[in-house]
Amino acid sequence: MISPAAFARRAAPVFACIGLLAVWQIAALILKNDSFPTAIEAIRTIPDILGDKEALINILASLRRMAIGFGVALLVSIPLGLLMGRSRAVAAFFNPLLMIIYPVPKAALMPIIMLWLGVGDVTKILVIFLGVSLPVIYHSFEGAKAVEEKMLWSGAAMGLSSLQRLVRIVLPAALPEILTGCRTGLVLALITMITSEMIARQSGAGNILFNALDMGQYDTVYAMIIVIGAMGIGLDAIFERVRAMLVRWSEPQFDMPLSFS
Amino acid sequence: MKVVPSRSSEWVRPVTSQRPASTIIEIDRVSQVFQTSARKDHVALSDISLTIEEGAFVSILGPSGCGKSTLLYIVGGFVSPTSGAATMKGQAITGPGPDRGPVFQEFALFPWKTVLGNVMYGPRQQGVRAIEAEAQSRTLIEMVGLKGYENFYPKELSGGMKQRVALARTLAYHPEVLLMDEPFGALDAHTRTRLQNDLLNIWERDRKTVLFVTHSVDEAVFLSDKVVMMSKSPGRIRQVIDIDLPRPRRRNELLLDPRYQKYVVDIERMFDEVDETGSPS
Ligand SMILES: Nc1ncnc2c1ncn2[C@@H]1O[C@H](COP(=O)(O)OP(=O)(O)O)[C@@H](O)[C@H]1O
Ligand SMILES: [Mg+2]
Repeated sequence: MISPAAFARRAAPVFACIGLLAVWQIAALILKNDSFPTAIEAIRTIPDILGDKEALINILASLRRMAIGFGVALLVSIPLGLLMGRSRAVAAFFNPLLMIIYPVPKAALMPIIMLWLGVGDVTKILVIFLGVSLPVIYHSFEGAKAVEEKMLWSGAAMGLSSLQRLVRIVLPAALPEILTGCRTGLVLALITMITSEMIARQSGAGNILFNALDMGQYDTVYAMIIVIGAMGIGLDAIFERVRAMLVRWSEPQFDMPLSFS
Repeated sequence: MKVVPSRSSEWVRPVTSQRPASTIIEIDRVSQVFQTSARKDHVALSDISLTIEEGAFVSILGPSGCGKSTLLYIVGGFVSPTSGAATMKGQAITGPGPDRGPVFQEFALFPWKTVLGNVMYGPRQQGVRAIEAEAQSRTLIEMVGLKGYENFYPKELSGGMKQRVALARTLAYHPEVLLMDEPFGALDAHTRTRLQNDLLNIWERDRKTVLFVTHSVDEAVFLSDKVVMMSKSPGRIRQVIDIDLPRPRRRNELLLDPRYQKYVVDIERMFDEVDETGSPS
């Protein structure tokens, strides 16, 4: 049996969603504006989009680019962040570079990247990669810095080389922090994915959204927003499951809110 | 040169007191100077020389900040001294190694490993086969009183249990010297007493060399063959006191023993002096 408190906790997001949709529905009914469909109209359009083969291919292409950008970013950023956290020289070299890149909206770099690499997949993947990298590097760096020195000494006494210590002590010890960065990175991947498709209009979920806007198909616009939002929530939920499994051993942490930036 | 009889099962190890005392660790005029943030040099250790005999339980006792940990880290090879040198069996200590096993006050367990995983870590790293490493580790876990906790993660254990795991983890790779830095310092009085008793029982079985840092006088007297009294600013050795009390030691007997009481009282007085005046220049 599930306790009332636990039930309330689990049901809360559902009620929040229903509440939001209800407010939307009422507002749309009152405003009666052509460019503001009701919630029910928007939701009715979703099966049309997901039933359309071309739209589905577009959305899957988006997800594929996102997965590649996210994956490559993790492969590069985690080792880099860990090295920066354990070596002052590496940190001193990369920190200024990252400080410069950090405040630049990655989408603002797109025009330049498009000039070099065109409007294809590579450009979009690169932008996603850039968007994901920074939080992952930052959290890996912080995680590696915080690893207790005595833990590394214990490993050294057992005969672990410095590379072994990095892979077998620093990496697992910093994993909770790294995964916090990855979770932020995942949301950023979704955001940069959509943004990149808005700028380099060719294919993808973002393209469907903006084509619909151009053609005045407002039901589709709102439906796509719901679809993209659901994708974000779904991916985040899956990631959270994986994260919780990987760091079961860790001290309990407070669930942190999604950080959009 | 073959001294050990070939049929080793008949080889009976002589009792410690009859064994010719051989030096295992030699600390030779070691000084350690730290740069403080104010760009002033801080002499943590000044001209420390000490020999430690094989199989001896030696405590380093002194007020906080007198350089006890630093000295232990130098022997562990985790820190290199500003001047002077430490040697182990005649070899200069240049870094950490499995011949010197540390046990820290902070436990420093691997939190992503279970109790068994932590204890097995060293033997596995040394190339011991998984099955053997596991069997040995289970025996050790039982020896430190944690049977049944093999699959617990460190976060699920109390401080005293964590320190038991840390001890087992270090014993598992058979270091010749145990380096213990206030291992019971973070524990409550009752747990501390129990761990002291258990450590002594374990130690009295195989008499590994132990270098034990503490700032508790009765802990030092209860456990040690030799107490090295240090004073601070700069960290110096004030006196080395041999603790001539019979073994095996039992706490309840020892507490009533006038010889034990005298050691504690004398060393406590010395401690007060050292704490008030610091090192004579
Ligand atoms: N890495 C370090 N950098 C600067 N000062 C240090 C460092 N480690 C220790 N010290 C200083 O050296 C002195 C001795 O420290 P420590 O060996 O930890 O003493 P104890 O273990 O006896 O308390 C202290 O004054 C401490 O502040
Ligand atoms: Mg200390």
